[in-house]
Order: sequence, then C-alpha cells, then structure tokens
Amino acid sequence: MSPQHKVKIEKLPTGVPGLDEIVGGGLPEFSFNIIAGAPGSGKTTLAHQFVFANATPERPALYFTVLGESAIKMLRYQQQYTFFDPAKLPDAVRFVNLSQIVLEKDLGAVLEEITQEVEKVNPAVVVVDSFRTMVRKPQGGLSEMDLQSFIQRLALFLASWQATTFLIGEYAEEELRDNPIFTVADGLFWLRQTEERNSVVRKLQITKLRGQASVPGLHTFRITNNGLQAFSRTFGLSGHKRSAPGKRRLSIGIPELDKMMGGGIPEGDSVLITGASGTGKSVLATQFIAEGIRQGEPGIVAVFEERPQAYTDRAGSFGLDLETPQQEGNLLILYLRPLDLSVDETMNEILDAVQKIGAKRLVIDSLAGFEMALSPGFREDFRESLYRMIFALTGIGVTILSTVEVDESFTKFPFSTYSISFLTDDIIRLRYVSIEAQLRKILVIIKMRGGNHSQDIREYEITSKGMILGERLRDYQRLITGIPERVNRSRQKQGPSDKPEAKSKG
Amino acid sequence: MKTSPETRDWAQRLLAYEAVAGETSAPADSAAVRVYEKLRRPLCALAGVAGFRSLASRALALARAEAPTLSAVQITADGLLRGLGELESQSDKGHAEQEGAILIAQLFGLLRTFIGEALTLRLVQDAWPDAAFDDPDSGNGEKDEPTT
Repeated sequence: MSPQHKVKIEKLPTGVPGLDEIVGGGLPEFSFNIIAGAPGSGKTTLAHQFVFANATPERPALYFTVLGESAIKMLRYQQQYTFFDPAKLPDAVRFVNLSQIVLEKDLGAVLEEITQEVEKVNPAVVVVDSFRTMVRKPQGGLSEMDLQSFIQRLALFLASWQATTFLIGEYAEEELRDNPIFTVADGLFWLRQTEERNSVVRKLQITKLRGQASVPGLHTFRITNNGLQAFSRTFGLSGHKRSAPGKRRLSIGIPELDKMMGGGIPEGDSVLITGASGTGKSVLATQFIAEGIRQGEPGIVAVFEERPQAYTDRAGSFGLDLETPQQEGNLLILYLRPLDLSVDETMNEILDAVQKIGAKRLVIDSLAGFEMALSPGFREDFRESLYRMIFALTGIGVTILSTVEVDESFTKFPFSTYSISFLTDDIIRLRYVSIEAQLRKILVIIKMRGGNHSQDIREYEITSKGMILGERLRDYQRLITGIPERVNRSRQKQGPSDKPEAKSKG
Repeated sequence: MKTSPETRDWAQRLLAYEAVAGETSAPADSAAVRVYEKLRRPLCALAGVAGFRSLASRALALARAEAPTLSAVQITADGLLRGLGELESQSDKGHAEQEGAILIAQLFGLLRTFIGEALTLRLVQDAWPDAAFDDPDSGNGEKDEPTT
C-alpha cells in the first residue's frame, strides 16, 4: 500500500515532558492503553497529565474513579501539580465515581454506566482508575471468558466513540501472560520504582504500543511538582542524524600539546584526561574550555565536586576569565545536584544547556564525581550510560573532554578505573614521576583514534598561567613507572623515536 | 469548629439565591434543602454516594456543635438530608434558616479544606450556572480552621 493510502494515526501529546519522544512522537489517537505498576509508582499522575494536556470543553476527558483512592483526596493531591488546571473542571475534565455500581452490581451495569456517560459527554479521553479494583471484585459466576468479553466490549465501544483510553491498574509483571486485558490493550505502560540503598529509582517501560515504534528499554523518570518527567534513553535525539566526523582540529589552549595531538583535538571527539589527584586535569580542562570561548565556541562545564563559583575562581587564579563568558551567555557551568541523579537526567540538563547556548565544547569534571552523583541504582549501569551519553553528544558535534582520577601506582600504568577507554577517542595521561628527589609531572598521549600523535613523554608544570609543557625527558628511561632511571646518553644510540616533533598527519 | 465568615457568607448567598428561585417556582423544600440537593448530585458523581455521605455526615456533626437542634437531622444511606424540613416547620423562620446556613457552610468548609478554593468555586458555578459567585475569600483571605 502506498504511503498516501495508509490511514494516518494522529498522535496526542502525553503531557509528560520526555514521554512523547519515548512513545514515538505522541500517543496514538483512539488507542486503548494500560498504565500498570505498584502503588505509588505515579500511574494516576501520569493519567492526569495526559487528561489535562488533551481535554477541551468540546472534547472533554471523562475520569472514572472506582474503589481505591477517594476522588476527593485524589483531587486534593493532584491539584498540587502545576499541570492541574482547575479551570478545566468540570467542563473539560469530568470525574465520575463508579464505586457504588461496582460494589452493588455486575460488570454489565458498569459497562452500561460508562456507555451512558460516554454517549452523553462525547469525551476525547477516558480514564478508569483503578480498573484493577473493578475487575478484581468477586463476580458471581464470572468466568475468564466473561471478563475477556467485558474488556473486549469496553475497548470496542471506547474506540468506536473515538476516545483515547487509559485503564489504570496495580498489576504485577507476572500477570502479563495470563491477563486478557494485556491482549486487548494497544499500549502498555509499566511504571516501576525500586529502592537502592537510600535512593528510589523510578523507571518506565513501554512494553507494547501498536501502530508506531516506541523507544525500547527502561527509561528513568522523576516525579516533581510538575508531575512526571521522563528521560528517554535516546536523550531526545532519536531521528537526529549523526554529524559527519569533523576535519577541524580544536585547540586545547596549550600550543605544545596541540602540536603533540597533530594540531589539536579532532572536532566531535571524546577525550579522556586521566591522572592522579593534583596532576592538573581540571586545569587542562579549563584551558580547553577557555580556549574554545576565545575562539567563539560556546562551552559547557559539568561539575560535580565543586560549586560553579569555586570553579570560576580557580580558573581566575590561572589567568582564565570564566566570569565574563558566563555573563555573556557563552559559558554555562552546571553544578548537578548530587547523590540522586540518573545519567539520563544529567544528560537532559546537559543537552538543554548545549541547545540553549549552542555549545561546541563540553567538559565533564570529573567522571568520578559524576558517578558519585548518581543514585546507587544507576552506578551499576554507569559505563553503559556513559557510552550512550558520549555517543549522543558527539553525534551532534560536541567535543567532550572528561577528566578521571586514577590512583597513582608505581607498578601499573592505569588509564582509568572504569575500563572506559573504549568510550573515548583520545586519551591523555598525566603522571607523577620521582626525579632527583622531586615529584615532577609528565604527560603522554596514549591514543588518538583520529590519527597519529606524538609518542613523546613530556614534562610539564602547572603555573599561574596554566599548564606549560617542557621538554621531552630524554635522559630518563622507565618514566611511566614513575621511578625513572637516568641514562648515560653518550652510550645511547640515536633512534627515530628521538625526533622531538609530533608524528601527526594533520 | 466554626467556618470562616466568608464561607458562611457564601452559604447565605446561595440560600438567598435559592429562596428567590423558590418564590417563583414554589418548590416544596426549603432553600437549605435545595442547596444541599444541588450539591449532592455533582458530589455523588464525583466522590460516589459513600464518599458524599461521609462528607455530609461530617458537615452535619460539625454543624451540630454550633446548632444543637440539628441533632434531629439525619443523612440517609443515599446521602439525602432528612429532618431539616421538619425542624424548620417547628421553629421560627429566621432561626431555621440560620441552622440550614450553618450546615451548608460546614459542607463548603469541608470542600474548601479538601479540594481547595478554586475547585469548590468551580463546583458551585457548575451547580448554579446562572448565579454569579465570587471567591468567598476575595475580601480578606480568611480561611476556615483546619478540620484536623
């Protein structure tokens, strides 16, 4: 069938920020949906958000309440959310209580009551809350076939009356196979909340959605004064084309280091700066972001371990003015509140910031701080989440520089505690070395995916002007052990690796 | 627990509105019973009969503290009001109206406590679409005492 002959399924806004993206652009009109989850998982709030986003006096929403939360109390609590608009009651949003009928009569009477109300009101949206309590009531002689028939007739009737429907229920996942309601439903929304140590992690999953593709998997969501906010695993970037790898090189703000990298960092790369505490990772990151601003490339710094003002002040002590670009809107320093974040929430904030100022450079300082800021339940998925985040951001052309602290070892030469080198295009390792009774610092580029790079091991210092690279330490061997040995150069043979220039293509 | 003067004023205005309406249509019930009935229907739809009955019973209990003669009044299982008409016929008109107003004011007070000003007002406006009612607290913002 040609595309022009296919029926077009209109998509309704869910009213939940981030959820439209997850369901593939909006909820299919006239669909028959289930919102399932444990008590307190946000089912009723989700339904209210959908209701208030779509109900109009011409096509109102009918909200049937059954045994469960009292309607009065539900209104008392739901009106606390910002999406709740009292002006929509009762013309656009109508509440009808079915408790009496459910208690005293059978499912046939319930269907008749719903039918009467729907025919009277002509609603665009129908919610039954809680549908589970309605069908759980012991019905004399009610067989599974009767229940299936009731659900079938209800779904048929509501779809025929062009209503988009939500049935809400406290279902457990093991009921998925046996319950006929899940067969009839067009859409199935599962809301979960799990406790991880002292944190609560909320996730939603669209396990079924007829008519259009939704984003698979578990998506984090949060409930705030604004109601639910969902954070898609694709970070709202599904459908975006990945930027072609840039040929441009971005200066890191340290000319000698740019040379070592063949002219700078390839645009759209993810760079990892790794080293022990005090080796100057943050200084390097700050120089990178400051250089970008100097060249007219707005930047974002995501900090987890210190406040933006402290970060700004510290940059100032190296002669880098981060105050002015912040005032001018070219730099945002995000302090992401600690301890209960999901990566997806963090991403959402970073992406908002990137889009807000058109950022080209992003610093994450540091990955260890980032991990600590996450709710314990998300830490297990840190690497996977980090991969998605980096892939998404570099895909829109942002160049990312992340710092990570490693324990200094004199027997090993680790790049990261996270085994995340596969996530990064380029790795720069900073290291302490003990030379002539001094703790000095060396820098080496471990890898650059985009081309050759210098293999020199260079000494550097952190001065009041930032990082200053010194000469290659030719007179020492075993530098990467941290305990080098001086060599007698007169006895050394000159080799190709002694060339001081970078072996770069670019 | 007494309701705020504004809530009582709101109840009085509704009763006055219904009294005028009653003069033209000559209904059998008193203004207080008609106001109660007009509230009962949408509230039963909203909260269910049991939900409304609970609210009405609480309102009656609170009203009895202010007007002990209301002890003769009952709320039926269907949420209907029984006995107010008889009470009105046994006492002088002004006194009976006052007792009816207390009951209605207590019901409003509970609604305001539970679902807030805006929704209560929307509910009243829906029940009396031709009447013009303002926010009872638009004057000085005084609220009812909490029910707890």
